[in-house]
Amino acid sequence: MTKHHPSNDCLMEHAAGSLPVAQAACVSAHLSYCERCRRTDSQLQTVGGALLERLEPVPVSEALLDTVLARLEDPAPLAYPGQTQAAQLPSLLQRLTNGDFSKLVWKRVTRSLSISYLSTGDTNYEFALYRIAAGGRIPEHTHGGGEMTLVLEGGFSDGRDSYHPGDFIYRDADDTHAPVALDGEDCICLAVLDAPLRFTSWKYRWLNPLQQLNAG
Amino acid sequence: MVENKSGNETDAGRSSGSWTAPTGRRTDEWSECLVQVGNSNDRAAFTRFFRHFAPLIKAFALAGSSLSAAHADELVQEVMLKVWQKAGGFNPEKAAASTWIYTIARNCRTDMFRRLQKFDTPLAADDLNIELEGEEPFTVLHTRRGSDRIKDLMGQLPPDQAQILAKVYMEGKSHSEAAAELDLPLGTVKSRVRLAIQKLQVQMDRQ
Repeated sequence: MTKHHPSNDCLMEHAAGSLPVAQAACVSAHLSYCERCRRTDSQLQTVGGALLERLEPVPVSEALLDTVLARLEDPAPLAYPGQTQAAQLPSLLQRLTNGDFSKLVWKRVTRSLSISYLSTGDTNYEFALYRIAAGGRIPEHTHGGGEMTLVLEGGFSDGRDSYHPGDFIYRDADDTHAPVALDGEDCICLAVLDAPLRFTSWKYRWLNPLQQLNAG
Repeated sequence: MVENKSGNETDAGRSSGSWTAPTGRRTDEWSECLVQVGNSNDRAAFTRFFRHFAPLIKAFALAGSSLSAAHADELVQEVMLKVWQKAGGFNPEKAAASTWIYTIARNCRTDMFRRLQKFDTPLAADDLNIELEGEEPFTVLHTRRGSDRIKDLMGQLPPDQAQILAKVYMEGKSHSEAAAELDLPLGTVKSRVRLAIQKLQVQMDRQ
Protein backbone atom coordinates (compact mmCIF):
# COMPACT_ATOMS: atom_id res chain seq x y z
CA MET A 1 0.00 0.00 0.00
CA THR A 2 1.57 3.24 -1.07
CA LYS A 3 0.93 6.26 1.12
CA HIS A 4 2.31 9.08 -0.99
CA HIS A 5 0.82 9.89 -4.36
CA PRO A 6 1.11 12.35 -7.25
CA SER A 7 -1.11 15.45 -6.92
CA ASN A 8 -4.49 15.51 -8.64
CA ASP A 9 -3.21 18.08 -11.15
CA CYS A 10 -0.30 15.83 -11.96
CA LEU A 11 -2.54 12.78 -12.46
CA MET A 12 -4.78 14.80 -14.75
CA GLU A 13 -1.90 16.06 -16.89
CA HIS A 14 -0.72 12.48 -17.09
CA ALA A 15 -4.14 11.28 -18.27
CA ALA A 16 -4.31 14.15 -20.74
CA GLY A 17 -0.90 13.18 -22.10
CA SER A 18 0.69 16.55 -21.46
CA LEU A 19 3.47 15.61 -19.04
CA PRO A 20 7.03 15.57 -20.41
CA VAL A 21 8.17 12.02 -21.08
CA ALA A 22 10.57 11.81 -18.10
CA GLN A 23 7.86 12.90 -15.65
CA ALA A 24 5.22 10.76 -17.37
CA ALA A 25 7.51 7.74 -16.96
CA CYS A 26 7.87 8.41 -13.24
CA VAL A 27 4.11 8.83 -12.70
CA SER A 28 3.47 5.74 -14.77
CA ALA A 29 5.94 3.76 -12.67
CA HIS A 30 4.04 4.89 -9.55
CA LEU A 31 0.78 3.68 -11.13
CA SER A 32 2.22 0.21 -11.48
CA TYR A 33 2.50 0.12 -7.67
CA CYS A 34 -0.68 1.93 -6.74
CA GLU A 35 -4.16 0.60 -7.36
CA ARG A 36 -5.83 3.73 -6.08
CA CYS A 37 -4.05 5.97 -8.57
CA ARG A 38 -4.65 3.46 -11.37
CA ARG A 39 -8.35 3.77 -10.68
CA THR A 40 -8.19 7.56 -10.71
CA ASP A 41 -6.12 7.45 -13.90
CA SER A 42 -8.71 5.25 -15.56
CA GLN A 43 -11.52 7.64 -14.60
CA LEU A 44 -9.48 10.59 -15.81
CA GLN A 45 -9.05 8.84 -19.15
CA THR A 46 -12.82 8.41 -19.24
CA VAL A 47 -13.07 12.19 -18.96
CA GLY A 48 -10.89 12.30 -22.10
CA GLY A 49 -13.19 9.82 -23.86
CA ALA A 50 -16.27 11.82 -22.92
CA LEU A 51 -14.67 15.04 -24.21
CA LEU A 52 -13.66 13.31 -27.44
CA GLU A 53 -17.28 12.31 -28.03
CA ARG A 54 -18.33 15.93 -27.64
CA LEU A 55 -15.97 17.39 -30.22
CA GLU A 56 -17.45 18.90 -33.37
CA PRO A 57 -16.66 16.19 -35.98
CA VAL A 58 -14.38 17.25 -38.86
CA PRO A 59 -15.24 15.45 -42.11
CA VAL A 60 -12.80 12.80 -43.27
CA SER A 61 -12.52 11.87 -46.95
CA GLU A 62 -13.66 8.50 -48.35
CA ALA A 63 -10.17 8.18 -49.79
CA LEU A 64 -8.76 8.08 -46.27
CA LEU A 65 -11.12 5.26 -45.33
CA ASP A 66 -10.03 3.38 -48.48
CA THR A 67 -6.36 3.89 -47.61
CA VAL A 68 -6.92 2.54 -44.12
CA LEU A 69 -8.95 -0.43 -45.39
CA ALA A 70 -6.18 -1.23 -47.86
CA ARG A 71 -3.60 -1.19 -45.07
CA LEU A 72 -5.47 -3.36 -42.56
CA GLU A 73 -3.41 -6.42 -43.33
CA ASP A 74 -0.09 -4.60 -42.96
CA PRO A 75 1.93 -6.32 -40.27
CA ALA A 76 1.50 -4.59 -36.91
CA PRO A 77 4.64 -2.92 -35.60
CA LEU A 78 6.45 -4.83 -32.90
CA ALA A 79 5.42 -3.70 -29.46
CA TYR A 80 6.90 -4.32 -26.09
CA PRO A 81 4.57 -6.24 -23.82
CA GLY A 82 2.36 -3.73 -22.00
CA GLN A 83 2.74 -2.87 -18.38
CA THR A 84 0.68 -4.92 -16.02
CA GLN A 85 0.09 -4.07 -12.42
CA ALA A 86 2.41 -4.60 -9.51
CA ALA A 87 5.32 -6.17 -11.32
CA GLN A 88 8.49 -6.54 -9.31
CA LEU A 89 9.84 -3.54 -11.16
CA PRO A 90 7.80 -1.28 -13.45
CA SER A 91 8.39 -2.69 -16.92
CA LEU A 92 9.54 0.60 -18.38
CA LEU A 93 12.34 0.66 -15.80
CA GLN A 94 13.03 -2.98 -16.43
CA ARG A 95 13.63 -2.05 -20.03
CA LEU A 96 15.70 1.07 -19.39
CA THR A 97 17.95 -0.80 -16.95
CA ASN A 98 17.86 -4.33 -18.40
CA GLY A 99 16.36 -5.26 -15.05
CA ASP A 100 19.66 -5.40 -13.23
CA PHE A 101 20.65 -2.39 -11.15
CA SER A 102 24.02 -3.84 -10.19
CA LYS A 103 25.17 -3.82 -13.82
CA LEU A 104 24.43 -0.12 -14.31
CA VAL A 105 27.13 2.51 -14.28
CA TRP A 106 26.95 4.08 -10.82
CA LYS A 107 28.64 7.40 -10.20
CA ARG A 108 29.69 7.90 -6.61
CA VAL A 109 28.78 11.36 -5.36
CA THR A 110 29.33 11.04 -1.61
CA ARG A 111 30.16 8.11 0.63
CA SER A 112 26.53 7.07 0.88
CA LEU A 113 25.13 8.31 -2.42
CA SER A 114 25.64 6.92 -5.93
CA ILE A 115 23.72 7.97 -9.01
CA SER A 116 23.04 6.14 -12.27
CA TYR A 117 21.73 8.24 -15.14
CA LEU A 118 19.19 6.68 -17.49
CA SER A 119 18.21 8.03 -20.86
CA THR A 120 14.65 9.01 -21.72
CA GLY A 121 15.65 11.27 -24.60
CA ASP A 122 14.18 14.22 -22.70
CA THR A 123 16.82 16.94 -22.65
CA ASN A 124 15.06 19.07 -20.05
CA TYR A 125 14.90 16.45 -17.35
CA GLU A 126 17.41 14.31 -15.57
CA PHE A 127 16.09 10.79 -15.07
CA ALA A 128 18.27 8.87 -12.67
CA LEU A 129 18.42 6.16 -10.05
CA TYR A 130 19.75 7.22 -6.67
CA ARG A 131 21.24 4.61 -4.40
CA ILE A 132 21.58 5.63 -0.75
CA ALA A 133 23.50 3.19 1.42
CA ALA A 134 21.46 1.70 4.27
CA GLY A 135 21.30 4.26 7.07
CA GLY A 136 23.18 6.77 4.92
CA ARG A 137 22.25 10.39 4.48
CA ILE A 138 22.17 12.58 1.38
CA PRO A 139 23.62 15.91 2.48
CA GLU A 140 21.02 18.64 2.85
CA HIS A 141 20.19 19.97 -0.59
CA THR A 142 17.75 21.90 -2.67
CA HIS A 143 17.05 22.08 -6.39
CA GLY A 144 16.72 24.94 -8.81
CA GLY A 145 13.48 23.28 -9.91
CA GLY A 146 11.08 20.48 -9.15
CA GLU A 147 11.98 16.95 -8.16
CA MET A 148 9.84 13.85 -8.52
CA THR A 149 10.97 10.85 -6.51
CA LEU A 150 9.66 7.31 -6.58
CA VAL A 151 10.96 4.77 -4.06
CA LEU A 152 11.84 1.46 -5.75
CA GLU A 153 13.71 -0.46 -3.05
CA GLY A 154 14.33 0.05 0.65
CA GLY A 155 13.06 3.32 2.03
CA PHE A 156 14.06 6.71 3.36
CA SER A 157 12.90 9.30 5.80
CA ASP A 158 13.16 13.07 5.57
CA GLY A 159 12.17 14.06 9.08
CA ARG A 160 8.57 14.68 7.98
CA ASP A 161 7.66 11.13 7.06
CA SER A 162 9.10 7.87 5.86
CA TYR A 163 8.76 6.53 2.34
CA HIS A 164 8.61 2.99 1.03
CA PRO A 165 8.51 1.25 -2.38
CA GLY A 166 5.86 2.79 -4.62
CA ASP A 167 5.68 6.06 -2.69
CA PHE A 168 5.78 9.15 -4.90
CA ILE A 169 7.12 12.46 -3.62
CA TYR A 170 7.19 15.82 -5.37
CA ARG A 171 9.32 18.63 -4.00
CA ASP A 172 9.47 22.07 -5.53
CA ALA A 173 12.36 24.44 -5.95
CA ASP A 174 12.07 25.99 -2.49
CA ASP A 175 12.24 22.74 -0.66
CA THR A 176 15.37 21.87 1.29
CA HIS A 177 15.72 18.30 2.43
CA ALA A 178 18.25 15.78 3.70
CA PRO A 179 16.85 12.28 3.17
CA VAL A 180 18.21 9.44 5.28
CA ALA A 181 17.95 5.85 4.06
CA LEU A 182 16.23 3.48 6.46
CA ASP A 183 18.47 0.95 8.15
CA GLY A 184 18.90 -2.57 6.92
CA GLU A 185 18.75 -2.11 3.15
CA ASP A 186 20.12 0.26 0.52
CA CYS A 187 17.46 2.60 -0.76
CA ILE A 188 17.00 2.94 -4.51
CA CYS A 189 14.85 5.74 -5.84
CA LEU A 190 13.97 7.02 -9.25
CA ALA A 191 14.46 10.79 -9.34
CA VAL A 192 13.33 13.13 -12.10
CA LEU A 193 14.82 16.62 -11.90
CA ASP A 194 14.54 19.68 -14.07
CA ALA A 195 17.52 21.39 -12.45
CA PRO A 196 20.63 20.00 -10.78
CA LEU A 197 20.64 19.46 -7.04
CA ARG A 198 22.51 21.98 -4.89
CA PHE A 199 23.99 21.00 -1.59
CA THR A 200 23.21 23.61 1.04
CA SER A 201 25.42 22.54 3.92
CA TRP A 202 28.86 24.17 3.97
CA LYS A 203 30.59 20.81 4.16
CA TYR A 204 29.40 19.73 0.75
CA ARG A 205 28.94 23.04 -1.07
CA TRP A 206 32.25 22.60 -2.81
CA LEU A 207 30.58 19.78 -4.77
CA ASN A 208 28.02 22.14 -6.31
CA PRO A 209 30.04 23.31 -9.30
CA LEU A 210 30.39 19.64 -10.20
CA GLN A 211 26.64 19.05 -10.19
CA GLN A 212 25.06 19.54 -13.53
CA LEU A 213 21.88 18.29 -15.07
CA ASN A 214 22.55 14.98 -16.79
CA ALA A 215 19.50 15.12 -18.97
CA GLY A 216 18.82 13.37 -22.21
CA MET B 1 -27.27 5.97 -10.68
CA VAL B 2 -30.29 3.84 -11.55
CA GLU B 3 -29.63 0.16 -12.02
CA ASN B 4 -31.24 -1.50 -14.99
CA LYS B 5 -33.01 -4.53 -13.59
CA SER B 6 -35.93 -5.42 -15.83
CA GLY B 7 -35.82 -6.08 -19.55
CA ASN B 8 -38.07 -3.11 -20.25
CA GLU B 9 -35.77 -0.73 -18.52
CA THR B 10 -32.77 -2.01 -20.42
CA ASP B 11 -34.62 -1.54 -23.68
CA ALA B 12 -35.49 1.98 -22.68
CA GLY B 13 -31.89 2.62 -21.70
CA ARG B 14 -30.64 1.30 -24.97
CA SER B 15 -32.51 3.85 -27.02
CA SER B 16 -30.60 6.57 -25.19
CA GLY B 17 -27.32 5.21 -26.49
CA SER B 18 -25.84 2.92 -23.88
CA TRP B 19 -26.96 0.69 -21.13
CA THR B 20 -25.59 -1.73 -18.63
CA ALA B 21 -27.00 -5.21 -18.87
CA PRO B 22 -27.98 -6.98 -15.63
CA THR B 23 -24.85 -9.13 -15.95
CA GLY B 24 -22.79 -5.98 -15.57
CA ARG B 25 -21.60 -6.18 -19.16
CA ARG B 26 -21.32 -2.92 -21.00
CA THR B 27 -23.24 -2.89 -24.23
CA ASP B 28 -23.32 0.09 -26.47
CA GLU B 29 -23.15 0.27 -30.21
CA TRP B 30 -19.46 1.16 -30.44
CA SER B 31 -18.28 -1.35 -27.87
CA GLU B 32 -20.17 -4.06 -29.74
CA CYS B 33 -18.60 -2.90 -32.94
CA LEU B 34 -15.12 -3.18 -31.44
CA VAL B 35 -15.85 -6.64 -30.07
CA GLN B 36 -16.91 -7.75 -33.56
CA VAL B 37 -13.73 -6.33 -35.07
CA GLY B 38 -11.66 -8.04 -32.39
CA ASN B 39 -13.41 -11.40 -32.59
CA SER B 40 -13.82 -11.83 -36.32
CA ASN B 41 -11.85 -9.14 -38.15
CA ASP B 42 -15.21 -7.78 -39.24
CA ARG B 43 -14.49 -5.12 -41.88
CA ALA B 44 -18.08 -3.89 -42.02
CA ALA B 45 -18.08 -3.27 -38.26
CA PHE B 46 -14.71 -1.56 -38.59
CA THR B 47 -16.05 0.67 -41.37
CA ARG B 48 -19.00 1.71 -39.19
CA PHE B 49 -16.63 2.44 -36.32
CA PHE B 50 -14.38 4.44 -38.64
CA ARG B 51 -17.24 6.55 -39.97
CA HIS B 52 -18.23 7.49 -36.44
CA PHE B 53 -14.84 8.01 -34.82
CA ALA B 54 -12.49 9.14 -37.62
CA PRO B 55 -14.11 12.62 -37.79
CA LEU B 56 -13.75 12.91 -33.99
CA ILE B 57 -10.10 11.85 -34.11
CA LYS B 58 -9.51 14.40 -36.84
CA ALA B 59 -11.13 17.08 -34.66
CA PHE B 60 -8.90 15.93 -31.79
CA ALA B 61 -5.82 16.20 -34.02
CA LEU B 62 -6.75 19.71 -35.10
CA ALA B 63 -7.73 20.93 -31.62
CA GLY B 64 -5.66 23.92 -30.59
CA SER B 65 -4.30 23.92 -34.18
CA SER B 66 -1.60 21.63 -32.97
CA LEU B 67 -1.25 19.66 -36.21
CA SER B 68 -1.60 20.53 -39.91
CA ALA B 69 -4.50 19.03 -41.90
CA ALA B 70 -2.10 16.56 -43.57
CA HIS B 71 -0.72 15.42 -40.22
CA ALA B 72 -4.25 15.19 -38.85
CA ASP B 73 -5.15 12.75 -41.64
CA GLU B 74 -1.97 10.81 -40.91
CA LEU B 75 -2.97 10.64 -37.25
CA VAL B 76 -6.46 9.38 -38.15
CA GLN B 77 -4.82 6.66 -40.23
CA GLU B 78 -2.45 5.61 -37.47
CA VAL B 79 -5.16 5.57 -34.82
CA MET B 80 -7.56 3.57 -36.98
CA LEU B 81 -4.89 1.00 -37.87
CA LYS B 82 -4.16 0.61 -34.16
CA VAL B 83 -7.88 0.16 -33.53
CA TRP B 84 -7.87 -2.72 -36.00
CA GLN B 85 -4.72 -4.26 -34.52
CA LYS B 86 -5.70 -3.86 -30.87
CA ALA B 87 -9.44 -4.53 -31.00
CA GLY B 88 -8.83 -8.12 -29.87
CA GLY B 89 -7.61 -6.74 -26.53
CA PHE B 90 -10.60 -4.46 -26.02
CA ASN B 91 -12.56 -5.48 -22.95
CA PRO B 92 -15.98 -3.82 -22.80
CA GLU B 93 -16.18 -4.58 -19.08
CA LYS B 94 -13.24 -2.32 -18.36
CA ALA B 95 -13.60 0.63 -20.66
CA ALA B 96 -16.07 2.37 -22.91
CA ALA B 97 -15.15 2.38 -26.60
CA SER B 98 -14.71 6.17 -26.51
CA THR B 99 -12.26 5.96 -23.60
CA TRP B 100 -10.35 3.15 -25.26
CA ILE B 101 -9.93 5.06 -28.51
CA TYR B 102 -9.17 8.31 -26.68
CA THR B 103 -6.18 6.61 -25.04
CA ILE B 104 -4.95 5.31 -28.40
CA ALA B 105 -5.38 8.73 -30.02
CA ARG B 106 -3.66 10.51 -27.14
CA ASN B 107 -0.66 8.17 -27.37
CA CYS B 108 -0.42 8.38 -31.16
CA ARG B 109 -0.59 12.17 -30.97
CA THR B 110 2.15 12.30 -28.33
CA ASP B 111 4.37 10.05 -30.45
CA MET B 112 3.64 12.12 -33.54
CA PHE B 113 4.56 15.37 -31.77
CA ARG B 114 7.82 13.81 -30.68
CA ARG B 115 8.52 12.52 -34.17
CA LEU B 116 7.85 15.92 -35.70
CA GLN B 117 10.16 17.57 -33.17
CA LYS B 118 12.82 14.92 -33.88
CA PHE B 119 12.67 14.03 -30.24
CA ASP B 120 14.21 10.62 -29.85
CA THR B 121 13.06 8.58 -26.87
CA PRO B 122 13.24 4.87 -26.08
CA LEU B 123 9.79 5.18 -24.48
CA ALA B 124 6.79 5.23 -26.80
CA ALA B 125 3.65 6.68 -25.23
CA ASP B 126 2.12 3.19 -25.27
CA ASP B 127 4.88 1.91 -23.00
CA LEU B 128 3.63 4.20 -20.26
CA ASN B 129 0.12 2.77 -20.30
CA ILE B 130 -0.92 0.92 -17.23
CA GLU B 131 -3.84 -1.36 -17.80
CA LEU B 132 -6.39 -2.06 -15.14
CA GLU B 133 -5.61 -5.70 -15.40
CA GLY B 134 -6.52 -8.51 -13.07
CA GLU B 135 -8.23 -6.10 -10.71
CA GLU B 136 -10.88 -7.39 -8.33
CA PRO B 137 -14.27 -7.80 -10.04
CA PHE B 138 -15.70 -5.34 -7.55
CA THR B 139 -13.12 -2.76 -8.52
CA VAL B 140 -13.84 -3.25 -12.20
CA LEU B 141 -17.56 -2.87 -11.63
CA HIS B 142 -16.99 0.16 -9.48
CA THR B 143 -14.69 1.73 -12.04
CA ARG B 144 -17.17 1.07 -14.81
CA ARG B 145 -20.06 2.65 -12.93
CA GLY B 146 -17.81 5.64 -12.33
CA SER B 147 -17.11 5.89 -16.05
CA ASP B 148 -20.76 5.71 -17.03
CA ARG B 149 -21.51 8.44 -14.51
CA ILE B 150 -18.71 10.64 -15.84
CA LYS B 151 -20.10 10.43 -19.36
CA ASP B 152 -23.60 11.29 -18.15
CA LEU B 153 -22.43 14.21 -16.03
CA MET B 154 -20.15 15.72 -18.69
CA GLY B 155 -23.18 17.27 -20.44
CA GLN B 156 -24.13 19.13 -17.29
CA LEU B 157 -20.84 20.96 -16.72
CA PRO B 158 -20.97 24.76 -16.86
CA PRO B 159 -19.32 25.99 -20.10
CA ASP B 160 -16.36 27.67 -18.36
CA GLN B 161 -15.40 24.38 -16.70
CA ALA B 162 -15.97 22.29 -19.83
CA GLN B 163 -13.82 24.75 -21.80
CA ILE B 164 -10.85 24.28 -19.49
CA LEU B 165 -11.13 20.50 -19.53
CA ALA B 166 -11.21 20.63 -23.34
CA LYS B 167 -8.03 22.76 -23.35
CA VAL B 168 -6.27 20.33 -21.06
CA TYR B 169 -7.40 17.12 -22.74
CA MET B 170 -8.18 17.91 -26.35
CA GLU B 171 -5.45 20.49 -26.89
CA GLY B 172 -2.96 18.85 -24.54
CA LYS B 173 -2.29 22.10 -22.67
CA SER B 174 -0.81 22.20 -19.20
CA HIS B 175 -2.79 24.12 -16.60
CA SER B 176 -0.45 27.08 -16.88
CA GLU B 177 -0.63 27.11 -20.69
CA ALA B 178 -4.43 27.02 -20.46
CA ALA B 179 -4.31 29.94 -18.01
CA ALA B 180 -2.10 31.99 -20.35
CA GLU B 181 -4.30 31.32 -23.39
CA LEU B 182 -7.55 32.13 -21.64
CA ASP B 183 -5.95 35.09 -19.91
CA LEU B 184 -6.95 33.79 -16.49
CA PRO B 185 -4.96 33.50 -13.28
CA LEU B 186 -3.53 30.00 -12.79
CA GLY B 187 -5.50 29.71 -9.54
CA THR B 188 -8.78 30.24 -11.42
CA VAL B 189 -7.91 27.53 -13.94
CA LYS B 190 -6.99 25.14 -11.17
CA SER B 191 -10.15 25.81 -9.22
CA ARG B 192 -12.35 25.35 -12.32
CA VAL B 193 -10.62 22.06 -13.03
CA ARG B 194 -11.16 21.03 -9.42
CA LEU B 195 -14.86 21.95 -9.54
CA ALA B 196 -15.34 20.10 -12.83
CA ILE B 197 -13.67 16.99 -11.46
CA GLN B 198 -15.89 17.17 -8.37
CA LYS B 199 -19.02 17.50 -10.49
CA LEU B 200 -17.97 14.55 -12.62
CA GLN B 201 -17.51 12.62 -9.37
CA VAL B 202 -14.04 11.45 -10.33
CA GLN B 203 -12.69 9.81 -7.24
CA MET B 204 -9.64 11.73 -6.19
CA ASP B 205 -7.91 12.64 -3.05
CA ARG B 206 -9.00 15.87 -1.50
CA GLN B 207 -6.01 18.15 -1.42
